[in-house]
Parts: sequence; structure tokens; C-alpha cells
Amino acid sequence: MAGGPPPIETEPAALRLEGVGRRFGALAAVAGVSLAVARGERRAVLGPNGAGKTTLFNLVCGDFRPTSGRVVLFGEDVTRLKPHGRARRGVGRTYQNSLLFNGLSVADNLVVAVRGAKPGRFSFRLPSAADRAAARRLAETVRLSHLLGAEVASLSHGQRRQLEVGMALACDPRLLMLDEPAAGLSPVERPELMKLLRALPRALTLLLIEHDMDVALPIADMVTVMKDGAVVVEGRPDRIERDPVVQRIYLGHGRAH
Amino acid sequence: MLASLALLAALTALPLFIPPFWTANILGRAIAYGIVAMSLTFLATYGGFVSLAQTMMGGVAGYVAAVLVPDSLPSLVGGVPYAAAVPIALLAATASGLLIGAIAVRTQGIYLLMITLALAMGFHLFAQANIAWFNGYEGIRNVVGPEVLGRPFRDPFVFYYAALASAALLYALVLYVVRTPFGLVLQGLRDNARRVNALGYHAALHRIAAFGLAGFIAGCGGLLVTFYNIGITPGSIGLGPTVNVLVMSVIGGLGHPIGAFIGALIFTLFDTFAADLYDRDRFNTLVGLVFLLIVLASPDGVLGVAKRATAAED
Repeated sequence: MAGGPPPIETEPAALRLEGVGRRFGALAAVAGVSLAVARGERRAVLGPNGAGKTTLFNLVCGDFRPTSGRVVLFGEDVTRLKPHGRARRGVGRTYQNSLLFNGLSVADNLVVAVRGAKPGRFSFRLPSAADRAAARRLAETVRLSHLLGAEVASLSHGQRRQLEVGMALACDPRLLMLDEPAAGLSPVERPELMKLLRALPRALTLLLIEHDMDVALPIADMVTVMKDGAVVVEGRPDRIERDPVVQRIYLGHGRAH
Repeated sequence: MLASLALLAALTALPLFIPPFWTANILGRAIAYGIVAMSLTFLATYGGFVSLAQTMMGGVAGYVAAVLVPDSLPSLVGGVPYAAAVPIALLAATASGLLIGAIAVRTQGIYLLMITLALAMGFHLFAQANIAWFNGYEGIRNVVGPEVLGRPFRDPFVFYYAALASAALLYALVLYVVRTPFGLVLQGLRDNARRVNALGYHAALHRIAAFGLAGFIAGCGGLLVTFYNIGITPGSIGLGPTVNVLVMSVIGGLGHPIGAFIGALIFTLFDTFAADLYDRDRFNTLVGLVFLLIVLASPDGVLGVAKRATAAED
């Protein structure tokens, strides 16, 4: 399942980028990136600050339109599709700086997330018992059950990160994209998050941005290293760890933060 | 919930103990304007959209009804009974809300305020200039409102109870809607529109629908105001009345729909008694000072004062 080229003919890749680029004025934040992520693969995207990792995420989820290239999800060209259209095709994501609904309770955040992926999301009827139950299950998954009624504005940083993951999981995604889920977590919270990520269903395709190789490498099947908007190296975690180019990129940044 | 019902019961009984002038001209009028202001607090509190189009949407309902109903002067279409004219007018106000929502769908903050102000002024000036449909500067008179149980609408009790019932129903509607997925998504738009999209929602659609609902609410208030004034003129939907709705909402507080009614009541009291207190011509100065005082003392209006008072008690 992990590694190696995906079987193109029989089953389209979960995600295929073909020469995808995005310019902001003179700056090419992402420059001609091509990659394929197989179904069920867990792919980590590494790279220093400003490498274009988050821009790449925004291109995949549709927050940005690419200035060049194509984005193909599960065999379907979605380059021109808006974010909500891509979400409906099974893309769930988290944001580096927790984009939550601060005025709502944890439960209502999750209910909104649960309803978003379903038909009938535009509704004037109260959320069903099933919606509430799904929200409770998600809260359990990300260990926030005791805070269901709490307003999100009152959560700690770590709890906000947990809720981020819960909301991304709510749509039952086929492709889950996590943008630095471990950033700012305490030494106690970090292993908890890794446990949560490892426990995700194997059928789920995972795309993970991580600054910290110690978090990314144990989880990933494959690793893509980016710098200056381009892919530098791609390979299995054990190879990446020893790669001289990667070591040069990370030298001075330190291996762990 | 219990407090709301107790308040409703008190307001229902109140006309038995106060003079008819207070029933209709103070409380009834405050409730009617409060409905228009609640249309704004609904958008502002839950969607984060501060709009200046509320008076205009109320005016759309008022004008449509005035054009259609029998006995209005001049008679432009006429002959349509109130039972049909009122729903048509509310439909028109809702449609105007949807249209305004669609036009302003990409704007936020000060730009939304300006675009809705521009639309409101455009409609005001159009009504003032157009003779064929709006009878220009003079507007449309003798819009007496429907008879209720054989009594005319301008009967203080009929007007008061019609306004109170409408307000109670719309208030309950707002509190219900914000608990539905539509209302939760609306609050999501306020907190984080980008996330709303990423979860699969069509954000623009929800926004436009919220303006449609605001149009309906403002339309209900606009109809009551039109019947209260027994007609409608371009002056009643001009810059002053447009801004007054915002002033009422801010005085009351944008934190909860009830703030709209508190603000409208304070505004109406000053509007009525400014002449006795100081001088008729100095009404705006007085209201301006009160506005300044409240906003300086409590940026979140009277509601904010109440909230802090209860918090201090705990």
C-alpha cells in the first residue's frame, strides 16, 4: 500500500498535482509542483518556513486557484472547483492557525462540520439527534468530550488543535490534510496527537505538513521535501532521514523544535 | 425562555393600565421600529453584517402595500384586499433583501455599510422622483391597514397587539433560526468564513439567505410603521430614518435581538418627549448626546450594561 508509484491505470491516485504553480506578484510561492499521492497513503510534506507547504495545501483544498497546472482529486480534475465543492468530494483539512468558530460551543462547531458534508446542509430544521451523536463521537475521538458545551473562545491552544482535527474528520474525508497539527503542543499533548493520527483508518489518505521530522517521519509512508516552492526530494522516510540534501536544508533549523 | 414569556405576558397586560396614547404612540411604535431594528441586530449579531438597508427593505413592503390596497390616495393599482396585499408586500421585502444580499455578497465592514447606504439612498431618491408608482415627493396617503375583528387598525389596541404579536413571533423565529444549521453556519460566517467554505458550505448562499430573512423581518416592521403613519412618504425612508435604525440598534446593544427593542423604546421616548424636555428643534442634539453617552459608557449598548450588572452580582 505504501510507497512506490500508484497503480495509475486501475485506480486513480487520491491526489495528483500536475505542474501546479502559484505566483503572488513576483513571488512564485509554489513553482511547478508535480506529485501523486496513492489512496490510503500517508504523505508528509516537509520543508523550512516559506517553502510553500501551506500554499500547496491551499491549492489542493481550493482556497487558492493555481496560476498554472492541474489539481486532480480521485481522478477528477478539480482545478476550477471552489473550496466547498472540493470539500464535498471528500477533502477535509485543518489550518495551521486554528480557524474555528469562536462564538459557538465545541458541540456546535462539530455539528456545523458534520452537516457540511451531507446533502441538506442548507437547513432550517434543528440539528438531528444523529448529528448531535456524530458530534459527540468526534469529540470523543479528539478527547474533547468533557468540553462539548464550552465556548471555543475559552479553549486552550492544545484543545483548539484537537478540535481542528475533529472538524476536519467530521466530513468523513477521503483525503485528510493536516497543517502542522503538532505546532505549539506541549510534550504531553504531542504523543496524544501522534496516537490519534496513527489510529486513523488506513483507507484514509493523509497529507501532513510538519516542521518537525520527529513527528512526521514515524507516521509517514512517503515524504516530500519542499524548498522555495519546489519539490527537492521525495522518498521513503528512512531514506529521507539520511538524505544529504535534506540534512543540509534542515541544518541550522535543528531537527526538532 | 421563561423571562421572555413573562415579559410577553407583562406587555400583553400593560395596555389595561396605561393611557391609549402610551399604548399606541410609545410602546406600539417602539415595537414596530424595534422589529426593523431587530432585522439589523439579527444580521449584525449572528452574521457580523452591519447593514444600512433595513429602512429601505421596510419601505419596499410599505410602498408595495400602499400601491396595492383599496382606498389609498392616490389610487395607483388599488383594489387588492389586505389579506393578499400584506403577503405580497412581505414577499417583496424578502426579495429586496435577497437582492441586496446578492449585490453586497463580497463586501464586509465599512464597505458593506457604504454599499447598503448607497442602495437605500438610491431607493429613497427613486421613490421621491417617480410619480407613476410612488407618487413622488408626497408619497401615498390613507393606507389605513386591515380591519381586525371588525375594528380599524388605527385603534390603539389593535395596532399595539398586532405589533406585539408580530414582534413576539419574529423574535421567537430569530432565536429558533440561529440554532438550526443555517443559523449556526451564519455564526460560522461571522467567526470564520474561510472555514465555512472548507467544510462544504456555499457561504454566499447562506449570506444571501440571511439578508432575505432580514428583509422579511424589516418588511413586517415596515408594514406596521406604514399603517401607523396611515401612509408612506419618501421622507420616511430617507437618510435620517435609515441611520435611526442603526442608532436604535447600537443604543440597545448588538449582542442579542432583544437589544433592538430596548434601543427602539429609548429612541421613541426621546422622539416623543424631546419637545417637553428641551425644545422640539433640538431633538437630534438630544438623541445625539444620549447616543454618545450610552456608547461611551458602554460600547455594547444598554444590553452590555445589564450584562455587566448581572456579572458583578454573581
